[in-house]
Amino acid sequence: CGTTTPTVPLENYTAREIFQRGEFENARGKADQAAYYFGEVERLYPYSDLAKRALIMQAFSYHRDTDYDNSRAAAQRYIDFYPADEDAAYAQYLLALSYYDQIDEIGRDQGLTFQALQALRTVIEEYPDSEYAQSAILKFDLAFDHLAGKEMEVGRYYLRHKHYAAAVKRFRVVVEDFQTTTHTPEALHRLVEAYLSLGLTDEAQSAGAILGHNYQATEWYKDSYALLTGQGLETRASGDNWLSKIYRQVVRGEWL
Amino acid sequence: QSYSFSSVVIEGNRRVEDGTVLSYAGISRGQRVSGAELNDAYQNLVQSGLFESVELTPRGNTLVIEVVEQPTINIVNFEGNSRLNDEELAALVQSRSRRAYSPAQAERDAAAVTEAYIQQGRLSAIVSPKIIRRSDNRVDLVFEVFEGGNVEIERLSFVGNRVYSDRRLRRVLETKQAGLLRLLVQRDTYVSDRIEFDKQLLRDFYQSRGYVDFRTNSVSAEVTRERDGVFVTFNVVEGQQFKFGRISASTDIEGLDTLPFREEIRVRPGVVYSPLQIENTIERLERVALAQGQDFIRVEPQVTRNDRDLTLDVDFRLTRGPRVFVERIDIEGNTTTLDRVIRQQFRVVEGDPFNPREIRASAERIRALGFFSNADVNAREGSTADQVVIDVDVTEQPTGSLSFGANFSTSDGFGIVASLSERNFLGRGQLLNFSISTAEGNQRLAFSFAEPAFLGRDLRFGIGLSYRQTDNDDALYDTTRASIQPSFTFPVSENGRLQVRYTAAYSDLFGVDEDASVIIRNEARDGARWDSSLGYTYSYDTRRTGLNPNAGVLLRFGQNLGGLGGDTRFIETTASATAQTTVMNEEVTVSATIEGGALNYIDGDNSRVTDRYFMGPSVMRGFEPGGIGPRDADTDDALGGNLYAVARFEVQFPLGLPEEYGIAGGAFYDMGSLWDVGETYTADVLYDDFSLRQVVGLSLFWETPIGPLRFNWTEALAKEDEDEEQNFDLTISTQF
Amino acid sequence: CVAQYRNHGYVPADEALAAVNLGQSRASVIATLGSPTAAAPQDEDGIFYASSRVRHFGFLAPEIIDRQVVVISFGSSGGVSNVERFTLEDGRIVPLTRRVTDNTVRNTTFLRQLLGNLGRFDAGTILGEE
Repeated sequence: CGTTTPTVPLENYTAREIFQRGEFENARGKADQAAYYFGEVERLYPYSDLAKRALIMQAFSYHRDTDYDNSRAAAQRYIDFYPADEDAAYAQYLLALSYYDQIDEIGRDQGLTFQALQALRTVIEEYPDSEYAQSAILKFDLAFDHLAGKEMEVGRYYLRHKHYAAAVKRFRVVVEDFQTTTHTPEALHRLVEAYLSLGLTDEAQSAGAILGHNYQATEWYKDSYALLTGQGLETRASGDNWLSKIYRQVVRGEWL
Repeated sequence: QSYSFSSVVIEGNRRVEDGTVLSYAGISRGQRVSGAELNDAYQNLVQSGLFESVELTPRGNTLVIEVVEQPTINIVNFEGNSRLNDEELAALVQSRSRRAYSPAQAERDAAAVTEAYIQQGRLSAIVSPKIIRRSDNRVDLVFEVFEGGNVEIERLSFVGNRVYSDRRLRRVLETKQAGLLRLLVQRDTYVSDRIEFDKQLLRDFYQSRGYVDFRTNSVSAEVTRERDGVFVTFNVVEGQQFKFGRISASTDIEGLDTLPFREEIRVRPGVVYSPLQIENTIERLERVALAQGQDFIRVEPQVTRNDRDLTLDVDFRLTRGPRVFVERIDIEGNTTTLDRVIRQQFRVVEGDPFNPREIRASAERIRALGFFSNADVNAREGSTADQVVIDVDVTEQPTGSLSFGANFSTSDGFGIVASLSERNFLGRGQLLNFSISTAEGNQRLAFSFAEPAFLGRDLRFGIGLSYRQTDNDDALYDTTRASIQPSFTFPVSENGRLQVRYTAAYSDLFGVDEDASVIIRNEARDGARWDSSLGYTYSYDTRRTGLNPNAGVLLRFGQNLGGLGGDTRFIETTASATAQTTVMNEEVTVSATIEGGALNYIDGDNSRVTDRYFMGPSVMRGFEPGGIGPRDADTDDALGGNLYAVARFEVQFPLGLPEEYGIAGGAFYDMGSLWDVGETYTADVLYDDFSLRQVVGLSLFWETPIGPLRFNWTEALAKEDEDEEQNFDLTISTQF
Repeated sequence: CVAQYRNHGYVPADEALAAVNLGQSRASVIATLGSPTAAAPQDEDGIFYASSRVRHFGFLAPEIIDRQVVVISFGSSGGVSNVERFTLEDGRIVPLTRRVTDNTVRNTTFLRQLLGNLGRFDAGTILGEE
């Protein structure tokens, strides 16, 4: 059931004919076939002016077919051969997307997030005025936010297992290195929770103060305020009997 | 001197654009350029690997860059290779189709391929890259391979060995002497780094037998005139054999009592010295330190030689190691498994003292999950000198299998078979198995789910449902059986775990053949029956955490107490004890297992054929399922037994075949019996009481990609005349 | 049932703590006592060491039976201003909020995860091991 690449000999077709066949395949949604044809244009007629166009189309088609490795290889070849070309920005952007689109739920592998961040940074720095710089910056922030999410995930794991000191270390990393991300208010609230559990009230106060100063309107501040002023949330939210707790953790796989 | 160019002219480029050349050269129009910068531009252009030749000639105020482009590779292939196929060679080669051809890279590729052949022992292999010009400045890159003859070792001999013979030492080395199977065996070729490895093997061999001063002076290799064979001679000095002298444990840390440590030392004076024993003792002492909650304890053996009586005194000094902490535990590569499932396997937490042995134990637990084809855990320098970051790098492997199928058998009729089994459901480490088969004569439905970290604790919750209905006419009797079994398993001590479970089971016996045994016909009269029982199993397992790393004991004792509601009252007791160790410096594994079960019903109830034990080959080898045990004298039907006891003794040893075949041999001796059918309803029952069957057999273990297989050939030494033997079977070889 | 105990974290020994004198600089404190378990939110004003002993007993949730937290705070001049010790009793049982800042990346659908992980061709299924 894999993709069967056609075996018709393409040597005797002109570059234009093969290129158009590639565009035809793309139009009909057969991205992997299209990528194959664009690849053949580049292989058979590397010096035709179509070769450059075919190379970038090849990277695009592989990407559409979610075949990220080949898309990366084609994009890299484009950057090697035509670094000064106006499509080089798009090739670099495609290279970054090939990592970015594979970023998965926070609980899972974050190796790709690093590579996505590096590739996106090259797009932003080398092609600042290209049309892709803007969306690269946006995606850079999202990937950065995602990295902070991973730190939070590990922090919550330690918080839940009552290893408060380890949790404090992780949440401090988020507060210090990832201030611009959306996770900072939660990190500050978790610091309040962890410090109070350790009994360090004035550290909790200072964390709560930062939270109140910068993120007054968030739910997190409300929770911290309640904890710090002693009313404390009721120990168990409504509808949280042990059965719903088991359902949440075992069936839905949530953390608490 | 410096130049200023108002214009730059680029000639000779066809595929590479002017802009590209300029960007590599790093010179823009009208910029003041010094001689050095010109040279840099030249170097950049050459480094880009796009050009065969580059010339920069300033003419007045225009700079002319003449380039000759490298041709583009059309295809890359290999000719003349038989030992290594094209894919293997393509993986070694960097030049790829569609990239620019670079002669230097082609030379490097050729060298890589030649090296691969030398590793195979083909010393005289020659690989030369050739290019075939194609239209439009393209080339085909062909690697012409001449593999040359296989240089085999005709003779492997030793000089200076008094204690061990040449033959014995040849068995120690990796490199083999070319013998009868010279075509088959690949390791009889002369490869220099394998000879280095052999020196290490020789040293380990002698050292583990007490010859601490052993060394290999030289290894000489003369090539025969026809250059197709080599004579290899190892020139060794054995030295004297040393034994252990005084053994002691000492420390300079105040408040540390050395008594518990001394008790753990298993090395006795007078025993032949071996570094393995030292290493095992260090591991035991560090485990004792861990158990006492002492941090940063290092065990350093101080060895003092006394040459007069050829003994070595060993003092295990307990010292306070450097104060190092775990700063972070970073997990990568887990594309399916959730981070917490892996992090849970660590008993160490970020901020704890760094203990290498505990990290190794955690790595072992991660590998034991069975979700990863590779999991390496190593520590690297943290942000400060006294902090360390633990890097966990895993490679996932598929853990789910889904199978559909249809089967047809004359007795059971046509049926659909489907099964889904997933060991790492949704990456949460949960186990999920579901299988259904709808053959009209044999319907089966089974579902089981387990959550190993229930509510985040070291508490395994499991639930199993099964429904099985057999009704086909030529079987002796038909049954319907259904059961549901929730269970909880948790640790009760360092090596002990307890499982508590509840089982509700429904069984029905019907459609009994008229000429079946009178016992079965009577038992069918009760019809449907409900059993509901509470049960527990205590298991004590020291294989992984025990002090002796390569030996272990597994004790299991369990009972099911029936009568919590339900129709019958019974107590079922099962027990098993298995011990395993490795001997002959860890090459041969010896194991012994004793196993038994007793099913006794109380106040008037009695067991039925569906409840009783039938000893299958997994319990005692050499007999068909139901092949031994109580049997109706007239109808010859197997009735099963309420009591069984078995003892199995096994040994597993390497067959000397190279490891890559993954084949090992084994021998076993089983003895056991199945007896007591209980109520006999006036039937005449053969073998209703204890009678020992004995079986001896040979087995072959084979590590295949789909799992460890085991082939058994058995011969019964003592059996009853009506027993049904099974002389060969194929099973999965489970590590007890 | 036998309880198992695990120690986590690290707090400097009492004599080492006694050797810390007021006014001592932050760097020299860390040099003598070792890297702190964590620092307070603002870098300048304090570091702390924490160690805890956890009791694991059967199926019960792990229970912290002892915790030592030593906080060394620094004055505005950068020297040590106070050394405090907190124990388990000072800790409070804090209800943790279940809410999580959701991340923007869509995670793979249930089915794709389930089917994406297939391919383990296991001897068990072939031989029909029960």
